[in-house]
Amino acid sequence: MSDQTSYAEKRVRALHTVGVVCGLAAGAWLGTAEAPVKLASAQLPPFIVTLGMVLGVFLARWTVPVMLKGAGFVVRDLRQNAHLIVWALIAGTLWVVANTLTVFAIKNVGLSIAFPLWNTNCLIGLFWGWLFFNELKGSGWKGWAQVFGGSLALVVGAAILAWATTGHAASTGANPRLGIAAALGAGVLWGTQYIPYRKAYISGITPLSFVTVIACGELVSTLILSTVFAGGFTNLGHQISAARPFLFWLFLGGFCWVFGDLFQQYAAKYIGIGRGIPLSNTNQLWGLAWGALVFGELSAIDAHARMLVLLGSLVMILGAAFIGTAAAPASERNSWSDAMHRECNRYGLDATRVVSILKGDDPRAHQKPPRRWWELLFPICSVGAMIWLGTLLQRPTVELNLLWIAVLLAITGCSLFLSGMLLWKRTRFS
Amino acid sequence: MKQSKFFAIISDVHLWVPLGVLLGGICLLIALR
Repeated sequence: MSDQTSYAEKRVRALHTVGVVCGLAAGAWLGTAEAPVKLASAQLPPFIVTLGMVLGVFLARWTVPVMLKGAGFVVRDLRQNAHLIVWALIAGTLWVVANTLTVFAIKNVGLSIAFPLWNTNCLIGLFWGWLFFNELKGSGWKGWAQVFGGSLALVVGAAILAWATTGHAASTGANPRLGIAAALGAGVLWGTQYIPYRKAYISGITPLSFVTVIACGELVSTLILSTVFAGGFTNLGHQISAARPFLFWLFLGGFCWVFGDLFQQYAAKYIGIGRGIPLSNTNQLWGLAWGALVFGELSAIDAHARMLVLLGSLVMILGAAFIGTAAAPASERNSWSDAMHRECNRYGLDATRVVSILKGDDPRAHQKPPRRWWELLFPICSVGAMIWLGTLLQRPTVELNLLWIAVLLAITGCSLFLSGMLLWKRTRFS
Repeated sequence: MKQSKFFAIISDVHLWVPLGVLLGGICLLIALR
């Protein structure tokens, strides 16, 4: 009996480590995605930047799952959890509307004010996680202090970084009140987007399957919004055509972003949205590293701002450390289990199967559905699109530090390999 | 069975909260435009 208990405890700790590692890897890849997008965003309207990136995201969100698990597995997983399709579409649409709101927020109040406001999304996610999915219930004051305090530290640290690095320009738009409303709105929408995530994963679906439907919601809503803001299909077509020399960077950014997003989904699955999302918000540190080391963006700031950058980074690292060491105790895991059983009862799911999946032991992972030849079309399309866009590419005009590009790529590459291996070893990507 | 699943979805508060927030976001976008 004690051996069994000890094995179960070890398994819980192992999955906590998986979640924390995935949350940190998500931060690295979401931050890295900002680098290629930077090369294009200065030359293009914001809606074209979003559309180009979402097209890359769509391709990657179908290619990676089909390559890792096979189309047969993805289709079967979606069929078994068909009720979650509506939540995946809502999650995709929420992301797109929030992303569009940030454009208006920056235009009206500037990035240094807008960023800290929408960065509160992890606190919103924490609230929904507590309210709807019993996260932190039964964790005691220590758990609350570590997770809530860590999240707060990450928000404050990111705000200090934004303040120090983006300048304190007054609002450039006509309506600061609407700008603040847009920034807060974006934070609420992004924070609420995590409800579908948690809902999906306590029902047992695999993140690799769930993201394929999110991608459809994102693509359709981005196309609608881009068409509306561009003033019709014809104008949108002209703008896309004019953007062709930069689309490669947006696609590349989209691909990097998908790796980050997938790790974020796995973090949400194994440690919940209250812990997983703040950890992935460390992407601000990676974005800063790329900006400072590769693009030389901090060369012009004064000593005071440099001190603030160090302080903000340190506060964020401390916040991440607090959350990373806050493993859910048995009493909180029982509350998670209650939420999971509630979903099983409501939607007629097999509770035993879902419990196994949440322990990282998906019975379906041991079966091998037959692979089809046409699954190869996904990687062929992705690689083909990248090569084609690469031929249209215009050489970047900004100066880049190649040594730091190599160093940062090596670090993020290692994080992809190590986190991917850990996920495969402990969960078989379930 | 299909009908009961449909009612399970539409009576789920987890659906209406994100939908309400999404609607609010779209209204905000319209106001900003």
